[in-house]
Amino acid sequence: MKPIRILLADDHNLLRDGLRLLLERQAGFEVVGEASDGREALRLAEEHRPDVVVMDIAMPILNGIEATKQIVGTCAQTGVIMLSMHHDESYIVRALNAGARGYLLKDSLKADLIGAVNAVSQGHSYFSLKIRLLLQEDYFRQMTDKQKTDSLELLTGRENEILQLIAEGRSNKEIGSLLNLSFHTVETHRAHILQKLNLHTVAELILYAVRKGVIH
Amino acid sequence: MRQHPWLALAGGFGGLLLIMTAAQLGALFMISSLRANGTQVEQRFLERSRILEEIRSSIYLSGTVARDSLLAPSGGASSQLAEVNDLHKKTAAALDQYQKSLETEEAGAFASLRSEIEAYWNVLNRTFAWSDEEREKNRYRFFYSELIPRRTSMLQIADRVGQLNERSLLRGDEQLGGLFERLRLGLIGVIALTLVCGLALALYTSIVVLRLQNEVRARLEENIEAKTSLRELSAKLLRAQEEERRALSRELHDEAGQSFSAILLETENLLDAEPGRAAVPRLESIRNLAQRGLAEARNMALLLRPSMLDDFGLVPALNWQARETAKRTGLRVQVSAAELPRDLPEEHKTCIYRVVQEALNNVTKHAQASGAQVRLQWKEGHVDLTVQDDGTGFDAERVRGLGLLGMEERVHHLGGVFAIDSQPGRGTFVRITLPVADLATDMMNETNSDIVSRRS
Repeated sequence: MKPIRILLADDHNLLRDGLRLLLERQAGFEVVGEASDGREALRLAEEHRPDVVVMDIAMPILNGIEATKQIVGTCAQTGVIMLSMHHDESYIVRALNAGARGYLLKDSLKADLIGAVNAVSQGHSYFSLKIRLLLQEDYFRQMTDKQKTDSLELLTGRENEILQLIAEGRSNKEIGSLLNLSFHTVETHRAHILQKLNLHTVAELILYAVRKGVIH
Repeated sequence: MRQHPWLALAGGFGGLLLIMTAAQLGALFMISSLRANGTQVEQRFLERSRILEEIRSSIYLSGTVARDSLLAPSGGASSQLAEVNDLHKKTAAALDQYQKSLETEEAGAFASLRSEIEAYWNVLNRTFAWSDEEREKNRYRFFYSELIPRRTSMLQIADRVGQLNERSLLRGDEQLGGLFERLRLGLIGVIALTLVCGLALALYTSIVVLRLQNEVRARLEENIEAKTSLRELSAKLLRAQEEERRALSRELHDEAGQSFSAILLETENLLDAEPGRAAVPRLESIRNLAQRGLAEARNMALLLRPSMLDDFGLVPALNWQARETAKRTGLRVQVSAAELPRDLPEEHKTCIYRVVQEALNNVTKHAQASGAQVRLQWKEGHVDLTVQDDGTGFDAERVRGLGLLGMEERVHHLGGVFAIDSQPGRGTFVRITLPVADLATDMMNETNSDIVSRRS
């Protein structure tokens, strides 16, 4: 089987060494390069076209979020996993908006990194367990505060299915072939879901799905 | 020096009043004494004229009595003698009375009048001692050559005395005139003195007032200057403190945090490599320590200054603060923020963030509230922030903790207005308005801004 090719981007040498060690011990993973700032990450990504970039959110010269935006823009097949110390929503939203598909906390790398690389390399999303729990907790609290009805109940069964697939990072085409639907129908469903949930971007939709526990 | 002018002013005005009062009293006294004097002079004149008249008439009368007795066929009528004696006594009494009010000028004339009269009486008395023959013989000679000339000269003297009396009246009038003149001059003098004193006092008062005014103005300027420099200093302190917090926060996050992350990863890698049985618990302990260290570094960094504030802007930082408060205390915090201008100055962002932080801190500590609302609005050159809770409230008129003072201070540094409205049982409402000058009208949703590069 073709190995999953990984690019590491972190300005902290020790951490990079640790990550490499962790990843290379895993069969089928190959670290193709290491960058210590955002610009270098961009250059190496264009050069190696890796399957996955593991990127620190805070880096000198070009920060992780900006670098992610550009890498996603130029290398469509590359998935980005963001590493961060922050479990606050503002960072997660920005990482997702930039195009990252994974968001990992630095205090649980060992538990999450392998799974995240696997998921993201297949085009799926991945979040640290803690992040998922926090987002769900947060959502629950907001719901109780506002005493709102669960918006998820607004969705039909088919829409729920599609929501999960979108949130997992699948394209309309993939979803269409999985559910035996035309591209156009999937597109319509997607628009309905966003409208019903009052969401605007896929990033928001992913966050929503994580909060609701639709995806793990 | 400060009390001196007032003493001088009191003395000046008091003196002026005293001078005026004394002058008026003096004038009143002089007028009444003048009047008394005038009456007295007049009365004396009349009295003396009356006495002189009495003397004159007594002498005329005595002459007549003497003539009658001389012409009588049988002389020495005792009744006529008694009459003459009586007149003699009356004249003597009148002379005595006149002498009491005698003036030196009259003394000579009066003395000769007196001696003439005495002589006259002696001569007259002699005639009564005469026998009938002697009377018959001497009658006419005595009458024409002695009695009449004596009487005439006496009357002349009396006239002279009368004239002197009149002169004394005139002199009295002159004296009165002199007194009046003195009074007039005195009044003029007093008026002039009052005027001069008043002018001097007015001048002095003006000088004192001007000097006081200058002093007050100088004090005021000093005060304003001191206030300004104090404000500048405390603004500098606040800036320095914020800068320090930012640096510390970054250091904690970037250095300590990253190091803990690396240690954690290394330890987990070691655990993965199946080390000896003895090493596992130690490594696990290191892992736990590193995890705890990482969490602490992150929390401390956020506590000092949340990285969202510098990375994404004010609204994400406020949202984070709201979530954190909710998580920590269970307080429902709602943040509604309008779009803010992109180049809202750093100090404004910090100020608003810190005010919200402090306000929420107060709410959770004191208010026993279940919910709080943070509202941020942008209005034509102003940022308007309100934090409202549904808690117990407090007496905002009387209670001013250090936290409130700190908020107020921050807001004032930026030329803003800080207001707090609270009453027991009615929740608390904090409102600040910050002027934002010369901002580009370029609005943006801050949530779209990007994380900034660090450590470059």
